[in-house]
Amino acid sequence: MDEAGESRIVEHSTCLACGCLCDDIRVVVEGGRVVEAGNACAIGRPWFVSRKPGEGRPPVTIDGRPAGRDEAIGRAAAILRGSKAPVIWGLSGTTVEAVASALAIADRIGAVVDLAGSAEAAAKLRAFQRVGQVSASLGEVKDRADVVVFWGVDPLVTHPRHWERYSVEHRGRFVPGGRADRTVIVVDSELTETSRSADLFVRVARDRQAEMLTVLRSLVRGVEIDPGRAERATGVPLSELEALADRLKKARYGALFSGSSFGRGSAGAGAYEALLKLVSDLNEGRRFVTLGLGGPGDGAGASAVLGWQAGASSAVDYGEGYPRHLPGEATLAARLEAGEVDAVLIVADDPAAHLDAGMIDRLGTVPAIVVAPGATGWPRPLADAFDVARPGIEAGGTVARVDGVMLPLRPAISSGLPTDRDILDAIGASV
Amino acid sequence: MSRLRIAGGHVVDPSNGVDGPADVWIEGGRVVEAPADPDLRADRTIDARGYVVMPAGVDVHCHIAGPKVDAARVLRPEEARRGSMARSDAPGARSGTLGSVPSSFSTGAKYAGLGYATAVDAAIAPLGARPAHHEFRDTPIIDKAFLVLLGNNHYVMDRIRQGERGRLRSFVAWLLGATKGFGVKVVNPGGVETWKQGRGNVSTLDDVVPHFEVTPRQILTEIARAVDDLALPHPMHLHGLNLGLPGNAATTLETLRALDGHRAHLAHIQFHSYGGDPGDLGRFDSQAGPLAEYINTHPDLTVDVGQVLFGETTSMTADAAVGQFLHKVLGRKWVSHDVELETGCGVVPITYDDKNAVHALQWAIGLEWYLRVDDPWRIAMSTDHPNGGSFLAYPQIIALLMDRGHRLDTLNRLPEKVRTRSGLGDLSREYTLSEIAIITRAAPARMLGLAHKGHLGPGADGDVTIYAPDDDKERMFSLPRYLIKAGEVILDDGDLRLWPEGRTLHVAPEGDIEADGDIAEWFEASSSIAFANYPVRDEEVANGLAVDGPAGRGSA
Repeated sequence: MDEAGESRIVEHSTCLACGCLCDDIRVVVEGGRVVEAGNACAIGRPWFVSRKPGEGRPPVTIDGRPAGRDEAIGRAAAILRGSKAPVIWGLSGTTVEAVASALAIADRIGAVVDLAGSAEAAAKLRAFQRVGQVSASLGEVKDRADVVVFWGVDPLVTHPRHWERYSVEHRGRFVPGGRADRTVIVVDSELTETSRSADLFVRVARDRQAEMLTVLRSLVRGVEIDPGRAERATGVPLSELEALADRLKKARYGALFSGSSFGRGSAGAGAYEALLKLVSDLNEGRRFVTLGLGGPGDGAGASAVLGWQAGASSAVDYGEGYPRHLPGEATLAARLEAGEVDAVLIVADDPAAHLDAGMIDRLGTVPAIVVAPGATGWPRPLADAFDVARPGIEAGGTVARVDGVMLPLRPAISSGLPTDRDILDAIGASV
Repeated sequence: MSRLRIAGGHVVDPSNGVDGPADVWIEGGRVVEAPADPDLRADRTIDARGYVVMPAGVDVHCHIAGPKVDAARVLRPEEARRGSMARSDAPGARSGTLGSVPSSFSTGAKYAGLGYATAVDAAIAPLGARPAHHEFRDTPIIDKAFLVLLGNNHYVMDRIRQGERGRLRSFVAWLLGATKGFGVKVVNPGGVETWKQGRGNVSTLDDVVPHFEVTPRQILTEIARAVDDLALPHPMHLHGLNLGLPGNAATTLETLRALDGHRAHLAHIQFHSYGGDPGDLGRFDSQAGPLAEYINTHPDLTVDVGQVLFGETTSMTADAAVGQFLHKVLGRKWVSHDVELETGCGVVPITYDDKNAVHALQWAIGLEWYLRVDDPWRIAMSTDHPNGGSFLAYPQIIALLMDRGHRLDTLNRLPEKVRTRSGLGDLSREYTLSEIAIITRAAPARMLGLAHKGHLGPGADGDVTIYAPDDDKERMFSLPRYLIKAGEVILDDGDLRLWPEGRTLHVAPEGDIEADGDIAEWFEASSSIAFANYPVRDEEVANGLAVDGPAGRGSA
């Protein structure tokens, strides 16, 4: 498959770099390598272009030494089979197909399944499970939204094409003037690139977001409020609060984008719940929706598969022979803390990017099987490591956008490596 | 090829006029004629003497896949206390969750456990086709299909406004091919779009949808025409206007009249059969009588009921306005999700309370429908799972239909208003076993245009349910003795022995199914994804089977 010397173009490729999942990338292949990624932004281009496969790493290692694949698969299966408290962690950097393969293993061995980034997601999930969420696919925002709020996020920096493709510049059926037909509002703790391009910027401290959202909700509902109390609670002058509430109420179709500014734990859940309730209430006489910006890889796809297979989008424990949703308990961090892990299967993500140093040290004492691109080059000792093809560039499959829309991947080149799904299915067949 | 003989059972096969002792032979996954050679032995014989043998169940209307079902699963962790499903010993078997919206594996396994082998998800946004197919891959044993939502599609409304019937027909054909869908669903035509514009809802067939300048009447009649012209196996599947609102029966009757000359299937008709005034529950009553009378005299129309059962469940619908209405009335959590260019959805938990006169009337109206439609071939069992209740409640409904005394006992425990505002107490009809077989398998298969389902004649799928006769009909139908799927014994005395993938049924309309350039141009300008990435790839369809229509049969 590695057509050295030949030049090829793959149209409509999907980029997994930031979470926008732009699917209009024109990937140019020369000499078996990606040399250009047309339409890609400054984050997307290096994701396609500058990453190099292989580089002399062994495809498979056992205890850090090069090994045969079958031997390593047999060993991985033996470790997992013998484990009394296995954890499967990661899964955000791959495809829905590979996640399904990993969950088949989890079901068989009774593992805890924890997605990378679950600590941030847990607070939002808790709020969702309390009040629901009023949302939409990104094309609705593109086609209709005349009021767009970026709350604690800076998409012009983190999601460069969001503005152009989905939220602001597009001339939609109901917003034919594009940018001119939309009011862009930024609420943040500091000036950002995005706030400088907005029509309205309201500054609020990170620890006052919940109060701010609650006051806005009162204003939107027409509830009498004590101006002094509202200003003290939010740190924002009443005139600004009223102006913001007024802009929100003038929307025909409003869209509010938020990210991780609410933080973790019950405080984060409380603030996000206030946001969800505000947006829900705004649906009187107008439409108003809220979405995230999405993150790199396919965390949304992993959550979706876990949702339909196990009824929860994270923190699932198969230990009793069926899936149980145990927020705060069925996580890698909690199990490491409690010393209740004796094997870990890491798929498609690097714990070093998600766990603090203390947790990484603890993780080092547990036999780890890693199935991830570049895993055999990781600096830590691993029981088994499998280097695999990179989804979206060397491996195909299906991924989900933050709004649940699923897209096919169009691998442009071949690495000669198996996919993570191949490895997981082989392990699953031997467990 | 393995040969199975189901010997000596009381075969109830209404399509073929069989209601008595007979053998059923299955070879290569399909029902075959009994061999002429009396010495020919089967590889396996099930002694069915003393048992009732029926074609396996077929569900014409349920919600079992797609993003809204998924959202509902995650939304309701509090339902974990309603139990879970451990892995069975069948090779490849998986565990799952239960509650009102079971996980994908549980859904397939529980349908099989109920003696069903086919279920049709009635509401998938075309943009949600890809996730739905991925979920179908994880919905084992049963054959699956879905209907795509078209009643608020921008391209459809634009074509109708322009009077472009040919291009509308081509679009429908192309879209079914692109999504690997089975049929066409229309939900609150024009109403969801109106609501997404923040302009309330439509309430009559002749309201004008803002911006698109078409009416619900035009949308539903033109789509019905396109479906008929394409000769799809299943007619247009309609969820009309004003679902759940007092006084909606008048709109429903007008809708039925508007459909004159077209085939149509009216979904969860119970929710559309209410007297009274919108916004005034004081005069809420049953209008099942006059509506059923209309159905009785119009053979191109069929219905499923959407029976309500008392207890906790989750409402979910593409009728996004209904979601907001329920959220406001019930004060419970609300998921809503607009789908660009196509549709919306709403998910709200709901508890049907037998002390609540409205809920109790909904229960009675559903039963009235079963009893007032004279020809059982025109009505299918459904709870609109999970809206009125779980599909697992079908045996409860069967017991109520087969036993008038049991029905009256329940009715007499309900609030007084139910007895004065519904005619249920006057209906003495009791369903026979054969009629139950019709409304749970033979009729839904025929409505769907699945010629190889719902009967046990030669060539039919070897999908058979065997029941132990029992005076307790709820127990009889809850616990089939065997489920045989494609000639293999799947369920044996309550245990799942095999865990096959099941098939995905879809249509492959013939004719001009290449997207014309106009579709691509419109899509690229309006959608948030590339046109090239919209169609579902063949490898995403689990064990696909293209079905011809109407009254055609499948070909691999």
